[in-house]
Amino acid sequence: MINLTLQKQLNGVNGPLQLDVNLDIEKGAFISIYGLSGSGKTSVLRMIAGLMSPDKGSIQVADEVWFDAAKSIDKAPQKRNVGFVFQDYTLFPNMNVEGQLKYALRKEDDPSVVDELLEIMDIGQLKSTYPRTLSGGQKQRVALARALVQKPSLLLLDEPFSALDRGMRSRLQDYVLQAHKVFGLTTIMVSHDVAEIYKMSDQTIVLEEGRVAKQGKPQGVFANHEVSGKFQFTGEVVSIEEQGFLLIIFILIGSDFVKVIGSRDEVGPLKVGDRVMVASKAFNPIVKIINP
Amino acid sequence: MNKYQGVITQVESDGALSIVHVDVKGQHFSAIIIDTPVSKPYLKSGSSVYVIFKETEVVIGKEVEGHISLRNKINGKISKIDKGALLSKVTIQSVLGDITSIITTNAVSAMGLERGDDVQAMIKTNEVMLSPVGANDVKSGA
Repeated sequence: MINLTLQKQLNGVNGPLQLDVNLDIEKGAFISIYGLSGSGKTSVLRMIAGLMSPDKGSIQVADEVWFDAAKSIDKAPQKRNVGFVFQDYTLFPNMNVEGQLKYALRKEDDPSVVDELLEIMDIGQLKSTYPRTLSGGQKQRVALARALVQKPSLLLLDEPFSALDRGMRSRLQDYVLQAHKVFGLTTIMVSHDVAEIYKMSDQTIVLEEGRVAKQGKPQGVFANHEVSGKFQFTGEVVSIEEQGFLLIIFILIGSDFVKVIGSRDEVGPLKVGDRVMVASKAFNPIVKIINP
Repeated sequence: MNKYQGVITQVESDGALSIVHVDVKGQHFSAIIIDTPVSKPYLKSGSSVYVIFKETEVVIGKEVEGHISLRNKINGKISKIDKGALLSKVTIQSVLGDITSIITTNAVSAMGLERGDDVQAMIKTNEVMLSPVGANDVKSGA
């Protein structure tokens, strides 16, 4: 069990933000944190990793206290047993793949874990390769393997796949899920991608302005619009073209664009950049196989 | 988007599907949805719901005789026609309030639709959405 009580005054993109988050996370759970930019998602991960100190509160992982403001306990990041993977690949340019992993080994670690991880992440053949010749997906697999060398009790992922194309993202998600299972990890992932959250996590937490706005299984958290249209997505308005009394609304849903016909009466003061729900009855869509 | 508040009068379920009957100011509506009272507890007699359907799904009939498979039929009077090159927006005054329909301008001309005409607005059962009143209804999601 991981108990987090985190309070911190942050300088968010939209001005000061009071982060106030209390969470209990079961061992072995895969938790996702969802929210708009500036809602405090990354700060939560950074505080758990010890890269940022809360003003008040505590972080307890199993029996270990990593942070306690009242008792002035604040373990250094390297003393916290966490693996951290960021969106941008933070590999050492002067080390080959195997070197990256070996560098993370501590004296007491069994060196065989390096080969095991090379195999799980399917990067064994890249052992002697240097980062500059790796693809984005390969780099991120190396970063992931390196984060797991010390068999962390907690894996923290900060939008780890958002720079990758969809096919690669899907494969990386599978690697992470496999590692999560094989190593019995507790994983906390920050993600903007609802499909990813559905696929990966048992529990999702929606942060709004530094507070937990919703929490639960992804199906419950994202399916509570309570409209009976089952063909339902959230997206962002990219452009609006007026054509007489009609609007042609371009909406980005995941990495796909859709065009939707609407009217001013229907959508009111809709503007570019708005987050929207797009719903249709489940009876309308047609389904067609497009496997290669 | 046409949206009216009503009360559920009956729910018929079969497997994962339900046909929900709703009374809106004395006007009967039916909606078929992929949910049941088990998956969505608000689906019961007496619950307040919004009945929602898109303008482009509203069929207009004039002097309709014989049988028609559309279950949702509302009598009204045309109060406004906003003609575009291809599409027209027809506003129909009814017991529900205004119903907006978008149909082709071609259809408006062919049927000779004019302001003041008595017409029927019709919506297929599978085009009607429901949303419980008071819930996080149609607005942008988290």
